Amino acid sequence: MNSLLEQFLSEARDFLQGIGEKLMQLESDPTSHELMVELFRFVHTLKGNSGLFDFPEMTRVLHASEDLMDAVRNGRVNYSQKLADQLLDAMDFVGMLMDEIEATEKISNKHAAPAAELTKALRNLLTASEAGSESSEIDDILNEITQTQVAENSIDWESLPTLNLPEDIAEQLHAHSLRGDSVFWVEYTPEADSFFKGEDPFYLIRQVPDTEWRNVVLNSTVENLAEMDVFNSVASYQVLTHAPAEELEDLFRYIPDEHRRIEIPALAFVKPSGNTDEHAVDEDFIANVFALFDKGETEEVTRTINTMLELSAPDLWSSSALRWVLRLIEREPENKAAQRALLESLRTLQSPDWSELKPVETVTTIATAPPVRNAVVSTSNGSNSVVDEKMQYFNEVINAQREILNLSGFNEGRLKSVGASLICCYKSIGRSQDVDSLELAIKNALAENSPTLLLKWLEHSLENAPELVVAEKIPAPVNNLAMQNDVKFGRRAEDAAGRKADEPNAVTASKTLKVDQEKIDRLMNLIGEMVVAKNALPYLAARAETVFGVRDLSREIKAQYAVINRVAEEMQDTIMQVRMLPVSFIFQRFPRMVRDISRKLGKEVDLVLEGESTEADKNIIEALSDPLIHIVRNSLDHGLEQPDVRIAAGKNGTGKLLIRASQESDRVLIEIIDDGKGINPEVIKHKAYEKGLIDEATLERISDQDAVNLVFAAGFSTADVISDLSGRGVGMDVVRSAVEKVNGTVGIESEVGKGTRLYLSLPLSMAVTNVMIIQSNKQIFGVPMDMVVETVRVPRSQIQSIKQKQTTVLRGRIVPLLPLNDLLASNMPQLPNENDEFATLIVRVHGEHVGILVDDFRETVDIILKPMTGILGGLGGYSGAALLGDGSVLMVLNPRELM
Amino acid sequence: MKHILVIDDAATVRLYHRGILENAGYSVDEAINGIEALEKALVKPYDLFIVDVNMPKLDGYGFLKEFRRQDDALQSPAIMVTTEAGGSDKQLGYMSGANLYITKPIKPNELVNYARLLLGETL
Amino acid sequence: MAIEFKKSLAVFTEFVSVEEAEGLLEWLLKNPKGKINLADCTHIHASSLQVLMAFKPTIVHEPKDADLAIWLKAALAS
Repeated sequence: MNSLLEQFLSEARDFLQGIGEKLMQLESDPTSHELMVELFRFVHTLKGNSGLFDFPEMTRVLHASEDLMDAVRNGRVNYSQKLADQLLDAMDFVGMLMDEIEATEKISNKHAAPAAELTKALRNLLTASEAGSESSEIDDILNEITQTQVAENSIDWESLPTLNLPEDIAEQLHAHSLRGDSVFWVEYTPEADSFFKGEDPFYLIRQVPDTEWRNVVLNSTVENLAEMDVFNSVASYQVLTHAPAEELEDLFRYIPDEHRRIEIPALAFVKPSGNTDEHAVDEDFIANVFALFDKGETEEVTRTINTMLELSAPDLWSSSALRWVLRLIEREPENKAAQRALLESLRTLQSPDWSELKPVETVTTIATAPPVRNAVVSTSNGSNSVVDEKMQYFNEVINAQREILNLSGFNEGRLKSVGASLICCYKSIGRSQDVDSLELAIKNALAENSPTLLLKWLEHSLENAPELVVAEKIPAPVNNLAMQNDVKFGRRAEDAAGRKADEPNAVTASKTLKVDQEKIDRLMNLIGEMVVAKNALPYLAARAETVFGVRDLSREIKAQYAVINRVAEEMQDTIMQVRMLPVSFIFQRFPRMVRDISRKLGKEVDLVLEGESTEADKNIIEALSDPLIHIVRNSLDHGLEQPDVRIAAGKNGTGKLLIRASQESDRVLIEIIDDGKGINPEVIKHKAYEKGLIDEATLERISDQDAVNLVFAAGFSTADVISDLSGRGVGMDVVRSAVEKVNGTVGIESEVGKGTRLYLSLPLSMAVTNVMIIQSNKQIFGVPMDMVVETVRVPRSQIQSIKQKQTTVLRGRIVPLLPLNDLLASNMPQLPNENDEFATLIVRVHGEHVGILVDDFRETVDIILKPMTGILGGLGGYSGAALLGDGSVLMVLNPRELM
Repeated sequence: MKHILVIDDAATVRLYHRGILENAGYSVDEAINGIEALEKALVKPYDLFIVDVNMPKLDGYGFLKEFRRQDDALQSPAIMVTTEAGGSDKQLGYMSGANLYITKPIKPNELVNYARLLLGETL
Repeated sequence: MAIEFKKSLAVFTEFVSVEEAEGLLEWLLKNPKGKINLADCTHIHASSLQVLMAFKPTIVHEPKDADLAIWLKAALAS
């Protein structure tokens, strides 16, 4: 058995089972539309599948079942027990056929009769329930007949609303219509909740211009006036207007679904009305008029009718009809058929059925696209049937594209797909020379947001190229496709796999996907939680060993942890990658800013940007934005000199400002370099002294570099006059704290007269922080690992007191020691270990090494640092808190703030 | 090699189409409904789509409508394949963005010919 | 208020908005024979129009606004 048939049987059994289940569910929930839709889909798909094979009995029964379910789904037939039984019978039959197929790969012809019976039974259920109980085939035929008539007549009379207009209004509208003003019937049925949307349907309908007739009806009679819901819209509004279609379109453009617009042909207004009880006209009169009419003596006809009108009451139906005859003679003298039909109606006192009349006047209808001329085929080479067949395919596809282009409404994707289809079709039949102009037409059509140009190109191409040559070469595989159902799928799959393997560009093209930023943030949070959750495993392993004493399990957990840890880290890396933004994101605003500021200051500046494609996490990039702007302003304001000053100093009048980004291992380095006047350490020193930032001793000893670094000290501002440009009293200390907030560092180098180099070093990402857990005063704290230089154990004997401060000498360097308990304002002494050594954390704070004495070191962990909020947010000394794997909270210290 | 995405909830139909198209030398991927089709089509550019109408979750119309709205997607031709009943509608198919609307079951050589035409290859 | 309710007469003036509909309904339930004076009315929100259509009260003065008058005639005809 071939694999396709196997697949069919296995899937079909699933469907049969599914159908059975759905029917059972429907028993208990017989009104569930959802179930019905699903049931229909099962039957529908099963039928479609069976159609791939030559099992007519099965397909026939399934087809009838499908039709029945379609009717049930659409509410035309009610679900009933009987119906379910019948369907189950049908499915049993199909199941039986499948058993036979499985055994013999065919269906014996003895099943033809039962299949026919089942089909009939299903069809009966369908027709018995449907209104009118007419056989659906008859309905189909009737439908076809009406449709043909409609096509001939160009007007869908069936769909026109029944109009019962006063004669004067009808007469006016008739005149409008004949004059070429399209008369539209507009029906507007607002949605029930339209009042809640602030709409006033009545106001809207009153805005319709050129209204000749209007009506409003309640769609449901209000049974109980007391319970009337005044906020529910229950009315339908109808008008007849000869306003231009565009105006109506415009008026109702927000509610296209709630209104219906139909163009009314002139003849539809010709509908005599009045009293039919009395007969003013007798057969003699009618015969007489007809005789004159047939002879073409129009004037005589008019005179006779006028006489009759004078003699009879004006409110008679016949009088109305006669007046219409006169109007038709006057307004549509050529339309003899209509005049005759109207005269004929005097005998029956029934308005003529205009749908039976072929109208003379041209009625605007959507021109249906003529089919592509078959000449294309016959002129190519009538004897070549292969060519003919090819051209049939070509024609069919081309016609489809034309039909699509004729659809109303512009849709870019649709137009593009039509363009792609046309290009391929033309290439396929060997007319590559047309592709250039075709592509141009597509481009222009897209530019115009309208398919018209492409449609024109297509029409033109088909008209002017009857000789469309078809490439002679017929690729072998197609012709040899003796593809019956017994093809060997297995072998082909292998072939395909082989081809795929030596196809290098099978998955080459990569596409960019736009993703909402929130989703990335969410991913980030999730991976964060994942990292935390993963950290619970070592705890678990420890507990397995220490609490439960199962060492093997502990080892296994650790092994699993290693795997999960690796995957989590990779995931984290990947998500980080996604969050990376290039620094150009903030760099791009500098050219404009530098230009504006330098102009304002009367300075000339040449801005150079480098390394714009360097990437960092979006949070880092965002955090970088403000400090960087501040620094650049500072450079422009205080660094670079006025052109005359520069020239006097022997420099180029135009200053140079370089902003450079680069990546250094896991950090981004951003440098802002100017060739301005630099920072004079003497000035800084004295200023800092004046402001009380340094004492006299420091003033004496401080190195030039340290002096320059004082610009970062809080409350320091170099400019004597606070300019409105670089900060209202805020100095570089703000920059420093902003950078430090994202674990960055900032530094400055300057040479008087030569210029200044400011540099920011930032982590590439800040999502997961590696912290060391330390213990102090019976509590645990975290310290970010990137601040920890080393951990040492300092024997008590090595600790010296200098000016009441504890210090030790580490590798020839004096390191101040600060007990953590003191920093946290607790009076407890730090606890040394059994060898009387103090656990000391050497951290780097503002370029200095400082030792923090703690009670003990613990492990390092990855945590997701959450900034503290609320009351705790104001607490200094902490950079945030994190959840540990065992569920406890870890406070993470910020040593910089602690000191 | 040209890549074709066959979208149909029926495994049998997918296998059938895949067999025909792979035999004609194309690489074929499958999707079992409109959602999956979108997921695939938005990641990998396909040269042609064979789309079923009636599918759970997102039907063929829905898939095409959504896909044709994608600005940066390659708007390749789509053949909508449907069984005659089931409320399918050619007009709706074209509106949604199909370029050809044909009725199941489609004969192998027909499918290959349509595919060759819409892929710009000689018949 | 664009509707002034008197004992057996409601006088509509100018633009009757959606807020008036409930009051109108209540008044008509209380005064089934209440009459309506529309002389100075220029527009009635669809909600109140529906109430009038449901109750079909006697109109003592048609609106001077010709278009509104035609509409009301159609709405209250049958």
